[in-house]
Amino acid sequence: MIAILDAKQATSTSGTNLAVATHGTIALLNLEAQIEGLEPNATSSRLGIEERVWLIDLLALRGSILSRIADYERALELARLLVGDATTEAAAFLARARTRAVFHRFRDALDDLDVAERLAADTESVDRERAAVFQGLGRYQEACAIREEDVRRCPSFESLGALTTLCAERGDTERAERLHAESVRRYRGVSPLPLATLDFQLGVMWMHEGQLDRAQDHLIAARRYVPAYAPAQGHFAEVEAELAHFDLAIALLIPLATSSDDPDYAAQLARICAHAGYPDDSRYWRERAAARYDELIAVHPEAFADHAAEFWLAAGGDPRKALTLARMNLEIRKTPRACSLLSRAISADEAAGARCFSQPQPSQSATSAANERSMQ
Amino acid sequence: MSDHFSGPRALADPAADLTDLYAFPAPGNPQRLVVVMDVFGKAGPGAVFSDAVTYRFRIRRARIAATGPGAAFGVDPDEVRFDITFDVPSGNDTALQRGHCRTPGGETVSFSSNDERGGAGRGVRVFAGQRSEPFFLDVHTILESAETRRLAFKKVGSDTLYGTNVLSIVLELEWAELLGGGPIFAVVCETLRTGPRPVRIERLGRPEIKNVSMSFKTFDQVNRDLEIRDLYNSEDAFALMPDYVGAYRARLNANLSFWDSLDGKTDWPFDEGGNHPLTRLLLADFLVIDASKPFQETSYFEIERAMLAGRPHATAGGRWLNEDVMDFIFTLYINGGNGPRISDGVDAPIAWSSTVFPYLAPPNLPKVQTS
Repeated sequence: MIAILDAKQATSTSGTNLAVATHGTIALLNLEAQIEGLEPNATSSRLGIEERVWLIDLLALRGSILSRIADYERALELARLLVGDATTEAAAFLARARTRAVFHRFRDALDDLDVAERLAADTESVDRERAAVFQGLGRYQEACAIREEDVRRCPSFESLGALTTLCAERGDTERAERLHAESVRRYRGVSPLPLATLDFQLGVMWMHEGQLDRAQDHLIAARRYVPAYAPAQGHFAEVEAELAHFDLAIALLIPLATSSDDPDYAAQLARICAHAGYPDDSRYWRERAAARYDELIAVHPEAFADHAAEFWLAAGGDPRKALTLARMNLEIRKTPRACSLLSRAISADEAAGARCFSQPQPSQSATSAANERSMQ
Repeated sequence: MSDHFSGPRALADPAADLTDLYAFPAPGNPQRLVVVMDVFGKAGPGAVFSDAVTYRFRIRRARIAATGPGAAFGVDPDEVRFDITFDVPSGNDTALQRGHCRTPGGETVSFSSNDERGGAGRGVRVFAGQRSEPFFLDVHTILESAETRRLAFKKVGSDTLYGTNVLSIVLELEWAELLGGGPIFAVVCETLRTGPRPVRIERLGRPEIKNVSMSFKTFDQVNRDLEIRDLYNSEDAFALMPDYVGAYRARLNANLSFWDSLDGKTDWPFDEGGNHPLTRLLLADFLVIDASKPFQETSYFEIERAMLAGRPHATAGGRWLNEDVMDFIFTLYINGGNGPRISDGVDAPIAWSSTVFPYLAPPNLPKVQTS
């Protein structure tokens, strides 16, 4: 299977011209080396505020590239400690805001940003962070106003890239592609990680649009920048599954599901194995995903409500649970996707309820759903 | 690591983030000149060089063009370049990364990183790999001094870099043969993005120009809100763009004046043009070395000081690995050498460099940092 994938990469007709960048393997080695160089003194006075913030951001970056929730958790913990040690440092609150936003604790993140602003962080830096939080909350107009102003003031890779991501999430495909090209044109660095991240965002955008060939192009580009980019590989597998290339999709997902502490890959495997006619495998991955989602929901409910709801709606097979989580998710973020998720969860729950009433022994979850509806 | 964190862009790829440049006559071999470029401060054990970066030494013949208050160097327009590039590590052993040094004569000297024997070609020897950080300083007391506007150094400081490692490139060369004449040379190093149109990522000459001398914005009345270092990094060290020189000069004037004020007296009155007397020399941001002088442990900025005093220089200048350059800089900036030596309380690295190729001490074990 891997050989097939490599051949596909080599002959890809990706429209994305890859920029000159450090090989993804080196970039990841060096990301590890940066973290290893700073971690031994992560909480000691030997690291200044700037380096402690840097370490937090590096951990979050590794978390995003390798799908390591443990990295995000470590970043969150270090940010908490940093704020405790540096109560008058705006940079500490900015760092904690970023980590809280990763876990969808948007209200807490906005509070941190307010504090940072009072501590004299420059307004532009705070606003850039606010834009990211607004985007997460689905407050697109506010996010867009900040991003547009940032681009107007300084049209750099960073500002254009941030606007690209926002346009991609809003489904403004034409503008996202145009901004992406302009952003890459202005890139002056050699790290492939930000380039891969942008291609990944566009890949996800085209997946949501149902244009799988265009999604493939960007996901392949992302993986050519960083071969070990886990979310890009995971989404690429999803595209392959949509094209009924189940075995390839499964081959791509198994190493991710095995190595990552993010249950999304196991959830995808459970779904795809079921479609591919491997019920035993599907059951195995379903159980793994279910157990991990339950763990994560207990600790970080805001962060995993949406993905867990998607899982329980699909391979998880518990619409009641999905509905609860989808409601929680919509309370946190009023994005179109959150609305759509809730709508699907309600429909699934109603369908399950209808099935229950037609059966002599209703399941517990269906009963609960019926009870909940009667209380509304 | 005098140049680490020297601007937002440099931070994006640590393998392109220059930390220090050294230049000294090879100890015991006056026919050879050694130049060292360090990147990737606080590197963890798995750190490797980028395959998308050209690591470049640029060397030009230089001469003393003026002495006294208007001291200045003259630098030839022609230069000699040594470009070092690296492959993607193959196999599981990332320590075995292949490197290639292209000499001005067109020869390519290949070598394996971390092999202390290095690679050798006609008149040149090259090493690259992870080594113990030779630089030492107490960053916290520097920042505290800037914040409180009072000298915050302690009798015993804390080495911010204790036990850390860097990626080093060491080039030892027959200067008379390869550099064509001399004996005074101006040396800079650069990291550039490779490709048909190379882009300069960083450049480095003197220690602590971009950080201690340029990073503080508070004292600069002209560009108080400007992060000037990315712009400065992108410049050609031998030909600053006239459009921006004023901004660099204003920043240096302001920060050098701040350092001068810390002992309560003015040792560096501004000249008639309103500039700090060191600004012009420091903006000539390259190491100047006289290869005809023998190796000496402490020689950084001796040529420049001799020029300012209007006397002949006595040492090779340049910069040796073990020199306590921070104490020298603080003494120079704060009292101009008119008072006692000003120490940041950190007088040694964790391991001294040796006088034998590749000079820098082997890398420290990760656990050393926390001890």
